[in-house]
Amino acid sequence: MKIKLLNNIVLVCLLIGMIGLVFIPSILLAQVGTVNGAKVDTSNAGLVVKVAPGELLPISVKLSNFGGNHRVDVLVEYAIFSSIEEKIYSTNETVAVETTNNFIKTIQIPFGTLGGIYIAKTSITYQGQLVPATTQFSFTVEKKIFGLFQSDFFLYGGITFLISIFMVFFGYTLIKRRRRTMRLVPVDYSDIPHNTRVFYELISDTIMGMRQQVGENALDIARQINGLVIDEKTGRVLELTEKPSKVIAELVSGYEKALGKKISFSFRN
Amino acid sequence: MKTQKTILVVEDEKSLRDAIVNILRINNFLSLEAKNGREGVELALSKHPDLILLDLVMPEMDGMTALKKIREDEWGVRVPVIILTNLSATNEQLVEDMVTRKPMYYLIKSDWKLHDVVDKIEEILKIKN
Repeated sequence: MKIKLLNNIVLVCLLIGMIGLVFIPSILLAQVGTVNGAKVDTSNAGLVVKVAPGELLPISVKLSNFGGNHRVDVLVEYAIFSSIEEKIYSTNETVAVETTNNFIKTIQIPFGTLGGIYIAKTSITYQGQLVPATTQFSFTVEKKIFGLFQSDFFLYGGITFLISIFMVFFGYTLIKRRRRTMRLVPVDYSDIPHNTRVFYELISDTIMGMRQQVGENALDIARQINGLVIDEKTGRVLELTEKPSKVIAELVSGYEKALGKKISFSFRN
Repeated sequence: MKTQKTILVVEDEKSLRDAIVNILRINNFLSLEAKNGREGVELALSKHPDLILLDLVMPEMDGMTALKKIREDEWGVRVPVIILTNLSATNEQLVEDMVTRKPMYYLIKSDWKLHDVVDKIEEILKIKN
């Protein structure tokens, strides 16, 4: 009777010692269980932080049996909880662990899952387990629009929109400046005989100067001058069929009426 | 060190002539003054200024006639001239003369401030940075 009591005391002490061995590492590291001298630990990590409903959530699982040298069959349960601790999905599988077992488990997030922060928990159960071993990580469920997460879609969409606005504005300004510059570039009349070239240049430069002030109206006025033939778009002088000085005088007169003031000239060197 | 350029101002209106000479002096130009075309031709051909600022409507000799005489001279062919006038170029003969005598600019007085005219002078003489 005394011997049996002593044996029970030894068994209780042994169990307390085992629990102590298990409990301290479980505080410092993760929850660890033992079976037949084996200690099995689990750790998991989310490989992504954001998934869409219906997509696969990869979970990196590491099982370590560092308590013994023999194989342990471990039941691994995967579960997803909402932020209010509501379980929205769970599954399990049995995995044999001899020393370590690393693998990636993919879980499909149910279609219709609402957006928000969720927690993926991995827990292990095995024969003779003393304390539960559970690890977890959080991730976000978010809908996708055109293959992009909603928040990314609005972010990149916003940036793209702003860039587009900038590009349109920049392009418009560039085209406007180019048109203005083209108008300011004196037309070359080197193909015109020298004795009449100066008239072509003077008329052309006058039209160019007036386009800066009265816009395309300058071309309309020039087109109405008898004896002056110009290019409809560029304002280039194509032909003078009347006396050049008469054409210039009429052109100046037309511009002065349109502008309401006298006009100045510059001559090419 | 830049050498001072000489500008001949041919203008019959004394107040405007004085104003032009004054702003030219401020901008480090030397100036010569003529109150009509005849004086202008004499000064131009004797002093050979670097540029002539010429009014058109003046007593004794108008500006276009003065320019014609200056252009007949070997030196005068190349001297840059700025016409500063109130006369509108809507007259055939004026346009013909203008094209023939080749001033650098034909500026309407009312459209141009004096410092803009100085800018044109500096542009022509290429003394601006």
